[in-house]
Amino acid sequence: MPRTEFWNPYAVPEAPRRRLLGLAAVLALLVLWSAVAASGLVSPSKLPAPWEVVAAFGYLAWHDGQSMLLTATLWSVGRLLVAGVLVILIGIPIGIVMGAAPQVNAALSPLVDPFRSAPVVALLPILVMWMGIGEAMKIAFLFIGAVVYLIPMVRDAIQAVPQSYWIGARDLGATPWECIQRAVIPLAMPRIADAVIVAFSVMWTYITVAEYVNAREGLGQLIQNARRFSAWDQVFAGIIVIIALALATYQFMVWLKRRLYPWETQQ
Amino acid sequence: MNAPAPASPATNSVSVVLQDIVQEYPAPGGGVTRVIDRVSLSFAQPGINMLLGPSGCGKSTLLHMLGGVRPMGSATPSSGRVLIDGADCHGAHDDSVMVFQRYANRPDLSVFDNVAFPFRLQLWRKRVPEGEWRKRVTDMLAAVGLSDKAALRPAQLSGGQNQRVALARALVLRPRILLMDEPFGALDAQTREEMQLLLIELYRAWPCLVVFVTHDVTEALALGDRVIVLSTQPARVADDFAISETRPRSAAWQRSPQAQAFAERVLNQLHQASPGKGQVRVTV
Repeated sequence: MPRTEFWNPYAVPEAPRRRLLGLAAVLALLVLWSAVAASGLVSPSKLPAPWEVVAAFGYLAWHDGQSMLLTATLWSVGRLLVAGVLVILIGIPIGIVMGAAPQVNAALSPLVDPFRSAPVVALLPILVMWMGIGEAMKIAFLFIGAVVYLIPMVRDAIQAVPQSYWIGARDLGATPWECIQRAVIPLAMPRIADAVIVAFSVMWTYITVAEYVNAREGLGQLIQNARRFSAWDQVFAGIIVIIALALATYQFMVWLKRRLYPWETQQ
Repeated sequence: MNAPAPASPATNSVSVVLQDIVQEYPAPGGGVTRVIDRVSLSFAQPGINMLLGPSGCGKSTLLHMLGGVRPMGSATPSSGRVLIDGADCHGAHDDSVMVFQRYANRPDLSVFDNVAFPFRLQLWRKRVPEGEWRKRVTDMLAAVGLSDKAALRPAQLSGGQNQRVALARALVLRPRILLMDEPFGALDAQTREEMQLLLIELYRAWPCLVVFVTHDVTEALALGDRVIVLSTQPARVADDFAISETRPRSAAWQRSPQAQAFAERVLNQLHQASPGKGQVRVTV
């Protein structure tokens, strides 16, 4: 294998080597974790050993003729999908209008932008007060948490399209809206897709919070329940499942984006 | 230009008049900067008119006024009139089509769909039936030498080929006025020459009023029936002369005393009009 320079951000190693390095890091962490757990330096009640987590995963996956893990996953994925569809259907049009019409942006950005750095979690009690403790509250929470990231990103995607496309379409006789529709939006689509990917990642990080209040099902509830009984091996298993699902969602959406907009990387 | 008009100068003739055009922008720190100062020009017959001047002299702004394009959404010109066939031109109009240096081809569409792009717009969809525009696009792709590239995407083409797409998209509308804003400025010397020859060929097939902005003296002398030299900051008409030599103009003509005299005349005018400001390019 040819040696690549170490301090060179442009000398990216080949894919197999990259995978090898990534896998090595994960394995190293597992070894460290196992060593700490086996050494007895940290009490098992604070840090379950990896094999205990695997056993807990097996228990959650299949026990007494049912899979708690599958049921919980389906509930969480379902809530995430409903919120995600709402984020796309409501957030993308608002972002597009803000990006395409500077006056709308001037009016709405003070209402949207601050929420990017606001403690969305602190809204949870307010949502409970307004919407009760049912499904609507959970979906509204996921929606708000994600849409405040998505809207500014979609707006920025629209504004990042070079003006030459707008002028070119205008000159060919397009109405101002046709310029947006046929010259600007198509060019902004890859970055809008990035915004959707970020929105789904954000929703995965918020799912445990959304399911914190009065959930009978869901991965957040599963973790919450295990914590109540100090079943730390199950807590770890639940967190790892959420991370894995978030990663799978991300990988799938990046793949989908490349399929939909193959021209982006060729530009 | 509703009907597919035959390519004869008579049907394409158009009169374009710029009357006392002044363009001013608010200057940083108060006041105004005048970038165009009382420019009056008239273009009557089909012909290739070169607007030659240093970079940033305001020639593109003049071209945008002719096209009725307002990039910043603000009113241009500050004062003066743009008349097309005697009627005031206040905004976007469909007598002219513009070709830019940044050719603005949609990266997600094929070459064919890029050339057919205007026919997806309400304005042209209503005017040109599908069967006809499909034929026009096919013929135009043949005319610019891209028939075998129709299914490719812009990223799969060279810069010159992309500019051919842009040119085809403009001419497929059969405009009476073709406005070209340094269209070949970003191309290498050899490709630029190929594109100039292509433009001459296309112009022969569709003689319209071409207003071609360039800062390249050689290009102006190679293409222009008429060369208008603009000074810079503010832009004024420094010189305006005709070249009767037939196109394409041979390398021998370009080296002839007549051509050299034109080049010197242009450079002298520019130096007098704006000493030390801006840059023009001479590629010989």
